[in-house]
Amino acid sequence: MDIFINNLLFTYLPHIAMTLFWFGVFTRIVKTSKSLQAESSQFLSKKGQGWGSNLFHYGIILVFIGHFTGLFTPEHFYHLFMTTATKKILAVVMGSVFGLASIVGITILLIRRLKNSRIRINSTPADIFLLALLLVEIWLGLASIFISAESSVDNYAALGIWAQKVITFQPDAGSIIMDHSITYKLHIVIGLFIFMIFPYTKLMHMFVLPLAYFFRSGFQMVRRGFTKRPIQ
Amino acid sequence: MKIQAQIAMVLNLDKCIGCHTCSVTCKNVWTTRKGVEYAWFNNVETKPGTGYPTDWENQEKWKGGWKLNKSKLSPRMGNKSEIMKNIFSNPHLPQIDDYYEPFTFNYSVLHSSAKFVTPPSARPYSMLTGLPMDKIEKGPNWEDNLGGEFEKRSKEKNFDDIDKEIYSKYENAFMMYLPRLCEHCLNPTCVAACPSGAIYKREDDGIVLIDQNRCRGWRECVSACPYKKIYFNWKTKRSEKCTFCYPKIENGEPTICSETCVGRIRYIGVMLYDAEKIKESASTENPKDLYQSHLDIFLDPNDPKIIAEAKKQGIPDNFIEAAQNSPVYKMAVEWKVAFPLHPEYRTLPMVWYTPPLSPIQEEVESGKLGFNGIIPDVDMLRIPIKYLANMFTAGDEKPVKEALVKMLAMRAFMRSKTVENNVDEKVLEGTGLTREMVEEMYRYMAIADYEDRFVIPVSHKEYAFDAFGDKAGCGFSDGEGCGSTENRLKNLFGGM
Repeated sequence: MDIFINNLLFTYLPHIAMTLFWFGVFTRIVKTSKSLQAESSQFLSKKGQGWGSNLFHYGIILVFIGHFTGLFTPEHFYHLFMTTATKKILAVVMGSVFGLASIVGITILLIRRLKNSRIRINSTPADIFLLALLLVEIWLGLASIFISAESSVDNYAALGIWAQKVITFQPDAGSIIMDHSITYKLHIVIGLFIFMIFPYTKLMHMFVLPLAYFFRSGFQMVRRGFTKRPIQ
Repeated sequence: MKIQAQIAMVLNLDKCIGCHTCSVTCKNVWTTRKGVEYAWFNNVETKPGTGYPTDWENQEKWKGGWKLNKSKLSPRMGNKSEIMKNIFSNPHLPQIDDYYEPFTFNYSVLHSSAKFVTPPSARPYSMLTGLPMDKIEKGPNWEDNLGGEFEKRSKEKNFDDIDKEIYSKYENAFMMYLPRLCEHCLNPTCVAACPSGAIYKREDDGIVLIDQNRCRGWRECVSACPYKKIYFNWKTKRSEKCTFCYPKIENGEPTICSETCVGRIRYIGVMLYDAEKIKESASTENPKDLYQSHLDIFLDPNDPKIIAEAKKQGIPDNFIEAAQNSPVYKMAVEWKVAFPLHPEYRTLPMVWYTPPLSPIQEEVESGKLGFNGIIPDVDMLRIPIKYLANMFTAGDEKPVKEALVKMLAMRAFMRSKTVENNVDEKVLEGTGLTREMVEEMYRYMAIADYEDRFVIPVSHKEYAFDAFGDKAGCGFSDGEGCGSTENRLKNLFGGM
């Protein structure tokens, strides 16, 4: 790959993508926080939604945690517990299991969205595009597992080094994965594209995951009462 | 003691004629929008029947309401982590077909079609897809006036512990109407199950509402409500429910369903209750004791101690006065002729029902049995007492029987008074009624003047919250923010 394009995509694009991502996320939360919601179509048709949605969501959450810890844990830190070779095996195994779960899930969801006329008619083009995009991305991710499994440990470790160089603003970040397979590169570029469009899609629903529910005292909610407030 | 006020309702089923006026006016006011065509915040069911949505009373299937787990109360769907576990796909959620697929007819074809040998017909079209439907399989009042086979209708839960086969015979058939709306419970499961905290119970009048700005569409409330009175708007993908017409209630006017009820069966009034007793009451071990424990929560608004305490806790005077004249208090507590719907769900519902009298069977008329002096034996009523008890008192027949006896005694007493001009207080013996009570009951239940039915205090918004923040707001909208739905849906981010 041309050095310039390689640098553009893997040294600079991550920063551009994350800037757009955080800008969009903050604007959307501040400007239209009411618009964040789950957008579930389960009520229209439950068929396939149970398996599809659960497999996809639980799979993708674990895949995300795997990417995050795998890419951003510094070498000297994880070497306290395991060698790079062990980490690679761990990544390959966990990645395959959860990646497979999420790809099965999203395939079910995409088929449901396209084949079930009730869901299809009430879908926006964005709904279908997003599902297809995620399907391609997960598919590339799974394909890259095969490459990782067959290639050297250094080849695998380079991915982590690249990610850490990117977030620490090292200008030579892109060159680390210069000679990596096109599968990895496509996976990264499409991944960054998803980050860029993220604030403008229903992916935003993950920012309203109601974790506060666990910390709400008791079960009930009562609002507003006859308690007189002092006039300010 | 924490005194709170609740606007509650009683429906006198003895007078319900099943005309659906309440449902239609409610529909016209609240749910004519896209996404809630199928939703009837108020609907009228014919019982026995499986109802709307089908089989809603079967909580083994829908997991609505609360359960007691080693005398600890938790939603039947499970505790918080079990509810959150199902957030991606709620296995207990009804599908729209459990209500019915909303449809319309292409009537314009009748005007525009070319000349045929046969007259043109209007076909049904699905309002979900716009595609023609071969056959309408279900509607909101599908079992109206005992429509459908007994086999299907009798699958409902109120037939538990009843040998129902005899009621399949034409001569033993019975029916009653059950108008249903949100119960505005004291212990609502929907509120408990909402992970976003969007559903809340207003402290000033007890109305349970969904904050449309905070609802994120996780769908847990739909299955948590045992009465299935939370409706998922499939267009906005958020939940909606009966608002108890709060804009009207706040102005001291009755809800639209009550206002338009042609049978004058609905009563709205204030109940004062002790909020600290809710948990204890809902945790009562034996379901048959739940009716009594619910009654025990209510406070006597005429007791000077209660009045003083209520004033101290900031209940406005007009609420206390309304509570003293509350028709709901009279029917539920003083006369004990009204009952909560399915107390065994442990939600402490606040829309109560007076059980219906039904025709006395032929045997009595021919003088064969059960005519106890003047009042006929209530066991002879066409609707089995056990059936009513399963609906209103978790199966305890005694309170329902006593209420029916009171209603029969009232009829006998007033009949002898007005027709025969002969006041016969002997009729009231053993019913627990006095002459004054029965005359008041007659005034409220038979005459049912507007002023007696609806005693609603104008709300004190200035007590409830600082209204300054509401200045320049859009006031009351369709629950989807200012402006039209279409405009709101279009924003920079393409989201809803």
